Amino acid sequence: MKRVTDIICVFRIQLASMRREVGPFLLAALVFPSGMYLFATAVSGRQDTQEQNPLRFLAGSIVFSLSLTSISWLGYLLLENRFTGRLKLFATLPLAPSSYVFGVLVFALVQAAVGTTALLLVGRAIGVPMRPSFPLLIVVIVLTIFCLSGLGVVIASCARSFSQGSLLTDTLGAGLIFLAPVYYAPEMMPQSLRMFSQLLPTTFAARAVQTTLSGGQAIGGELLTLSLMAVATLGLGFRLMQWREN
Amino acid sequence: MTNALAYAEPETQSAVRSRQSVTVEEPVAVSVRNLIKRYDDGSEANRGISLDVRRGEVIAILGPNGAGKTTFLRQITTELRPTSGSVTVFGVDAIANPESVKRLMGITPQEAGLFDALTVREHLELFARFKNLSKLEAREVAHDVIAELDLVNETNKRVGALSGGQRRRILIGLALLGEAPLLVLDEPTTGLDPSSRRGVWGVIRRAVDKGATVMISTHYMEEAERLSDRIAIIAAGRLLEFGTLEELLARLDRSYRLSYRDPFVPAGDVQVRHFASFAEAQRHISLELLSEYSIARASLEDVYFALTGELFVRTETGAEA
Repeated sequence: MKRVTDIICVFRIQLASMRREVGPFLLAALVFPSGMYLFATAVSGRQDTQEQNPLRFLAGSIVFSLSLTSISWLGYLLLENRFTGRLKLFATLPLAPSSYVFGVLVFALVQAAVGTTALLLVGRAIGVPMRPSFPLLIVVIVLTIFCLSGLGVVIASCARSFSQGSLLTDTLGAGLIFLAPVYYAPEMMPQSLRMFSQLLPTTFAARAVQTTLSGGQAIGGELLTLSLMAVATLGLGFRLMQWREN
Repeated sequence: MTNALAYAEPETQSAVRSRQSVTVEEPVAVSVRNLIKRYDDGSEANRGISLDVRRGEVIAILGPNGAGKTTFLRQITTELRPTSGSVTVFGVDAIANPESVKRLMGITPQEAGLFDALTVREHLELFARFKNLSKLEAREVAHDVIAELDLVNETNKRVGALSGGQRRRILIGLALLGEAPLLVLDEPTTGLDPSSRRGVWGVIRRAVDKGATVMISTHYMEEAERLSDRIAIIAAGRLLEFGTLEELLARLDRSYRLSYRDPFVPAGDVQVRHFASFAEAQRHISLELLSEYSIARASLEDVYFALTGELFVRTETGAEA
């Protein structure tokens, strides 16, 4: 029970801290991914694949939003907590490091829910044809957030300075989108990059989101891969996130 | 306020029940044995410190900057892993059970960041919840602590809008939440104005009256003299002395301090010399024809400078090695 209370308190602290930043957050959560959607639509040229491209672009934008939320912003938050001494404050409490990480993860999930909902509404408004399977979409989003947040935790725990850490989170937050077949089909990638992209969680997240948006359910492989990646990244994150210094 | 150890782990509940109703026989609150902290670069911040802190007493830790005071306290609060040695808090091994031990402590770190967007009340209420207090208890405790630290007018202000001194008081308040039986305060009054500092002394005294044991590091001699039962002086990672003020003063061979101005250099600095007796100091006054002087019993400051200065000389001349 204490663990649950701890997680909720960490979540509430982060949520309260963001009160004044709700506007910029919503703007950022919408502007970047929506902008990428429009950009991808414009550069894709022909509209012949009517259904597939808009759906891919919307799925890509959702994954982009998740990546920004969980690596760039969550990473930034964790770095800020670490390098402004707030983490020290948590370290003085009878609080398990994992409760702290889970509290921050819940916060990321809420952010992801807001960002994804906004993008789905935008998609609906501009007429993207979709038949989303919401329960599956939620599972995909949770797993993606866990997986990518693990990377944010790892960076925030290992960074030697705030600037080094934020550079890494920004680079990875965007890099994982553009190095994976998120906005375009895998066939369009160079062979070597295509193989490399099979190691990236965003590849599987994009495929799973696109499938669920089109009403498909055959994403067992993607879910399994994302689950394994989430266990690996979060496991590493928990291991590195220690209150006690050596 | 709520009972102190309502949140203690089952295994630690037998060790410490609460501040008010201490049923434990354990007379030692903190026991440190041969504590060594060596960093990767080979430097040693603590070199074999051993001491016992008795239940209910206030220990002041003094030492120059870089002496190893904060390193010492951070090993007790489990924030830093010792290279070797042992630390037990109310009989619980702090190295093996950091989380259990932290349930027994209220900690004010020397430097820690607050959440600027939270109000003072939110800060204290949310952090009280981490100490296993119910919502209602957390609200009551936060209310009490706010009043105790004279932050009533700031209750609903965002922490980011407060002065450095007010933020420092919040950090002290966070340590007070839940009435932990051990308070570890690392330079809690640094940056506070004299009035606030005295206010904090009052808060610490009241906590002690309720049964708390306190370890406090400070650079203020007056603070150590007024608050503590025993004083530890640390320099270069070593515990130089540990005892009551009287015991420390008794270590001085020359316990009378003569402060005077050289009659031939009236605009010069005040000179200080120490003497073994009052009569000896008077003789010096007559001999030197001093007209502007004062004689006083040596203070903690004299002990501090005698000890740390001596160590400095030993280190400089290589005798320390």
